[in-house]
Amino acid sequence: MKAFILAIIAAIGLGVVAMYALTSNQTFAYQAFATSGARVSEPGTNLVGEKWNGDPQTNDTGESAHGKATGEPSHPKRS
Amino acid sequence: MRRAVTLLSTLVVATTLLAAPGAFEPARAQNPITQDGQNPMGAKPTADSVNEEFLFKNADKITGRISIPDRKAANLIQPQGREYQSFREHYLPWIGAALILGMIGALGAFFLWRGRILTEHSQESGRKILRFNTFERFTHWMTAVCFIILSLSGLNYIFGKRLLMPLIGPEAFGALAQWAKYSHVYLAWPFMFGVVMMFVVWIKDNIPNRLDWDWIKAGGGFIGKKHPHAARFNAGQKGVFWMVAGFGAAMSMTGLMMLFPFALLDINGMQVMQVIHSLIGIAFIAGILAHIYIGTLGMKGAYDAMGSGKVDLAWARAHHDLWVEQEQAKTASGPQLSGRHPAPAE
Repeated sequence: MKAFILAIIAAIGLGVVAMYALTSNQTFAYQAFATSGARVSEPGTNLVGEKWNGDPQTNDTGESAHGKATGEPSHPKRS
Repeated sequence: MRRAVTLLSTLVVATTLLAAPGAFEPARAQNPITQDGQNPMGAKPTADSVNEEFLFKNADKITGRISIPDRKAANLIQPQGREYQSFREHYLPWIGAALILGMIGALGAFFLWRGRILTEHSQESGRKILRFNTFERFTHWMTAVCFIILSLSGLNYIFGKRLLMPLIGPEAFGALAQWAKYSHVYLAWPFMFGVVMMFVVWIKDNIPNRLDWDWIKAGGGFIGKKHPHAARFNAGQKGVFWMVAGFGAAMSMTGLMMLFPFALLDINGMQVMQVIHSLIGIAFIAGILAHIYIGTLGMKGAYDAMGSGKVDLAWARAHHDLWVEQEQAKTASGPQLSGRHPAPAE
């Protein structure tokens, strides 16, 4: 039983380490592919809407939208 | 008078019918394409234009031109994706169901035919011998726990939307599938680590030899009541070991290719990896079901090896007689209850 409990703890521990290692390596697409010559739109205002419910008009500022990226927003295009 | 009116009406209708084609001719002349797509000159005006068939002769997919740095976004049409989707949505669920349910059915039939394999009572019954030490059991259970969660979350990718979602609804299924995906991606790492540890710890006892062939010819003790000679691991256990090592390596490699998308492969390559990953995963689950059966319900006394680590000496003598002799030869005092040497597994 001791080996079994230790095994579960080790599995969860390694899983958490893997989670931090993997997520720390990731950047949002709009950050990764934006350059001085190309701008990628910030997600959250796309066709599925901020709450991913298919309603692009939703403007609920009370809570953060599901899937909305955090970080420095991209600047609007000026033409 | 009435006859004159009728004659006049007939004349008007006839004139209209004769004049109509001439009236519409200018409009028709504006659009030379006829119903069969041919113009009056017999030529097809779009014959020389670029079409899908022409483009696919030059490359296996059609790409456009983009200005953003992500070149993958230029991909427009990739026909291989349809084959992948067809496999993923139509063939894979049936293959998975047939293999896994087939294995469960076969094990059930075997149990009804053979029953639980018992060990005959002997004067050694009741005495214990260490079969697996704590580290071996730790390694086994860490890999096993991860494997079970990976299997369930993996099966959810194939069957979840078909079987679970109608039962629990889309909201609950969405949350469940999201957590299943997290567990699949993160518990893959301790699983891979566990497979490597098991390989290192048990490889020396799993090299195939002549004894294995004799064990197979004797039916491994499953047929009849006589148990063939076996050392630390018999041929069946060696088969499980090499299946875990081989399938584990294949699942790890294909899984890593999907965990790091586009690192080494393009979209086609990742689709191929997903096909291999799913097929081997299903075979892996079916194989491990047989392993679980024989380690628990199928054979009395077998679970103790991975449970407490100590097995009945009479059981060990019946199933792994050569190993018992080796262990007892190490000391003159008999069974190795405090042995530092790792002992065999189921």
